[in-house]
Amino acid sequence: MRLATSARAAIVSACLVMAAVPAAAQVNFSGEWSGRYHEDQPDRVPGEEPGDFSGIPLNDAARMFGDSYDVGRHSVLEEQCAPYTLPYMFFGPNQFRIWQQVNPDTQELVAIEMHLGTYQQHRTIWLDGRPHPPEYAPHTFMGFSTGEWNGDMLTITTTHIKQGYFRRSGVPASDRTTVVEHWMRHGNLLSQVTIATDPVYLTEPYIRSQEFVLMDRGNTNWLYNCEYAMEVPRDKNLVPHYLPGKNPWSGEFEAKHAMPREGVRGGAESLLPEWKPGAPAARPNPVKNGGFPASVLPEKLPAGDVRAVKVQGNVYLIVGAGANIAAQVGDDGVLVVDTGAAGQSDKVLAAIKGIANGKEIRWIVNTTPTADHIGNNEQVSKAGRTVNGNQAAIVAHENANERMIQRNVPDAQRPYNTYFEGSRDFPFNGEPIILYHDESSVNDADTVVFFRRSDVVAAGDIFRTDSFPVIDVTQGGTVQGEIDALNRLLDLTVPSKMLQEAGTYVIPGHGRISDEHEVVWYRDMLVIIRDRIKDMVARKMTLDQIKAAKPALDYEGRYGADTGPWTTAMFVEAIYKDLTKSK
Amino acid sequence: MTRALLSVLMVAGALTIAWTGVSAQRGGPPGPPLTARQAAPIDLTGSWVAVVTEDWRWRMVTPPKGDVSSIPVNGEGRKAAMAWDAAADASSGNECRAFGVGGIMRQPGRLRISWQDPSTLKLEFDAGTQTRILTFDRAVQPGGEKTWQGFSRAEWEGPGIGRGPEAPPGPGAGPAGPPVPGGGGQGLRGGPPPRGAAALRLGGSLKVVTTNFKGGYLRKNGVPYSEQATITEYFHRLPTHPNGDDWLNVVTVVEDPRYLAQPFYTSTNFRREADAAKFAPSPCKTEPPLPVKTAK
Repeated sequence: MRLATSARAAIVSACLVMAAVPAAAQVNFSGEWSGRYHEDQPDRVPGEEPGDFSGIPLNDAARMFGDSYDVGRHSVLEEQCAPYTLPYMFFGPNQFRIWQQVNPDTQELVAIEMHLGTYQQHRTIWLDGRPHPPEYAPHTFMGFSTGEWNGDMLTITTTHIKQGYFRRSGVPASDRTTVVEHWMRHGNLLSQVTIATDPVYLTEPYIRSQEFVLMDRGNTNWLYNCEYAMEVPRDKNLVPHYLPGKNPWSGEFEAKHAMPREGVRGGAESLLPEWKPGAPAARPNPVKNGGFPASVLPEKLPAGDVRAVKVQGNVYLIVGAGANIAAQVGDDGVLVVDTGAAGQSDKVLAAIKGIANGKEIRWIVNTTPTADHIGNNEQVSKAGRTVNGNQAAIVAHENANERMIQRNVPDAQRPYNTYFEGSRDFPFNGEPIILYHDESSVNDADTVVFFRRSDVVAAGDIFRTDSFPVIDVTQGGTVQGEIDALNRLLDLTVPSKMLQEAGTYVIPGHGRISDEHEVVWYRDMLVIIRDRIKDMVARKMTLDQIKAAKPALDYEGRYGADTGPWTTAMFVEAIYKDLTKSK
Repeated sequence: MTRALLSVLMVAGALTIAWTGVSAQRGGPPGPPLTARQAAPIDLTGSWVAVVTEDWRWRMVTPPKGDVSSIPVNGEGRKAAMAWDAAADASSGNECRAFGVGGIMRQPGRLRISWQDPSTLKLEFDAGTQTRILTFDRAVQPGGEKTWQGFSRAEWEGPGIGRGPEAPPGPGAGPAGPPVPGGGGQGLRGGPPPRGAAALRLGGSLKVVTTNFKGGYLRKNGVPYSEQATITEYFHRLPTHPNGDDWLNVVTVVEDPRYLAQPFYTSTNFRREADAAKFAPSPCKTEPPLPVKTAK
């Protein structure tokens, strides 16, 4: 017994001795740092010149985006105060403060915090081993970062980044970008390497590095006073951009700086010493963009799982049952927006039960008449009860009911309560619920549900993050109607600060939780593609010619598809048909 | 109780001694001193290619005369840049001015790194067919004529010294290659810092200070650095990227009281190649700038 006690004591003491070893390999990055812009200074400080894509391993989609880019886009109300996203943040003028967050009880480092003076951004780099959020979680300008020590180097992986730019001249960075950073400190010098992987716009990882020097006296201005304002009247249908081949600045950059045109156009092939003008373009190589382990990627919802996650206020998102479902929960009961695809009712009801606090389902609102949104109407309705004891009421615009009848949707699945006006409101769970209907959007039957106190909008398929808008011209959908509907969404959404993030959250018909930033990029995309096709129609191009010209190329990698129920070709054709139909 | 306490003290003492031994390998006796090669915390050897994602317009082509953008030149530096005459350089045997130690890292090209001997690293550049010698042996002193590449004093930095790829077997010796893969969630998260165990590779970097060189160009178009400058570099071997790429990052700080108003910072990234098949030595040659055109 004594020996056993001794052994235990010895082991404990051994652990204590080992634990007392100094933190030799862990570098403290705390302090206030200022960038030294001795590389690409004209890009990084005053700002890039149009048409400069040199040094970027970009693809043709990114080139098209950049060629179309008009810097006037930053005069759009919702884009005036949009910060840089992480892939670019350290390559614009920047000063930042770093400090450590430690567990007060153990003194273990939990996270590294950063406040960035440019656009007043805050960033947390988690070092406690937590996973990255699920794929349906909102994205932010700084993304979600986890760090790990590789000796005296801090390696950071960031996901969940909003759409933005790799370069201010309009080289796009998609919201599927993953950024790996390496931080190294030598005295008062902090070196940072950024390696961005973007399967949408890059053919291979894009590496850059930047030096920062510790500031002796610190910064004096850590706030960013941006106030968006409509300074001149602007039609909401106007998004500044250049039509293909009509960018007036094309060619200026290479002429002004004596550069070869092929080099200015960028591409992975142009980054190597042996590159000469005329070298063959790099082909997309998925292997180059891959390799990330699941532990640092957005968590994927396991197949078959249906999960409820809180958005904010009283509103939840239920994912995994086909189209997204929203649920508002309170003392009065549960209001459900859409019910998902058929065959998932048990899982949907289980998810609702998990958040309902014992309350009953009182209302169901259908945002659209399509099968993946209304498939469990009957079961969810029967599982609920109105205050009068009837099964929960299904509400939709009367056009939705009509469309369902045309499709022979059984009576039990169709709405009992319809409305015909442009909007309807009612109180539930102590908050105003406002239903908006646009005469035409992706069809003529959609409803947007605004939870005014929770500050959440369930947008239905007017807004989705997984595909181009499914504009069904056979069901009353129109391009202009969809643009108008997105503009209405933008009217409803307000960011939490002037910096275009959070505030009103938007639950899309499909895809991840979003905010105004995602909606404005989606609106801009649709306007730009519409304008291109409209111009091609005006030039008497046939539908086949228009498809061959790839008017949506710069967004195909993100929203397009070659197969499935809604291909890029179908999207282009829908716009063409809408624009050419007899008025 | 007394025996238990005695056991505690004995084990603690033994572990302290063992740890001191590990630490000593980083700092000195006991035991024979490690050579620079044995002490290397990271492996820099191999074939590397410059991937020019930054300063493309100044590195991949010869920029127009007088284009000093990004470089913190002072008045004298600007004046010297404006006086650049490539033909005069060629006729006076100074074609390699843009390939000296202050500019060679920024040349698009390939780099071969190898151990010339246990205390000397050799860096061979195909651009300009230049060779740099990095000396760890502190007994070796600069002397004689100044050269394009000067005299480079090297030293390892960081906690991984003596535990790296070529450390002799023993406590703390790590396997070859860079630190654990990075960006892939296989590094160390939070909690206490890395310590002690042989399973941990602690990384590190190489610091190089170069003096005794001939003046040259920071940029192909004659932006100058002088013989009075001091050039400090930090070589970092980045953890293997999730897609399998290995990167070498070199931070360069040029301090030149004659031509620069403040220290000039750049960092250059090289990707590892499987072999030196594409290493193609070429003479020092600077193409003339393309003509500046008026925009259409």
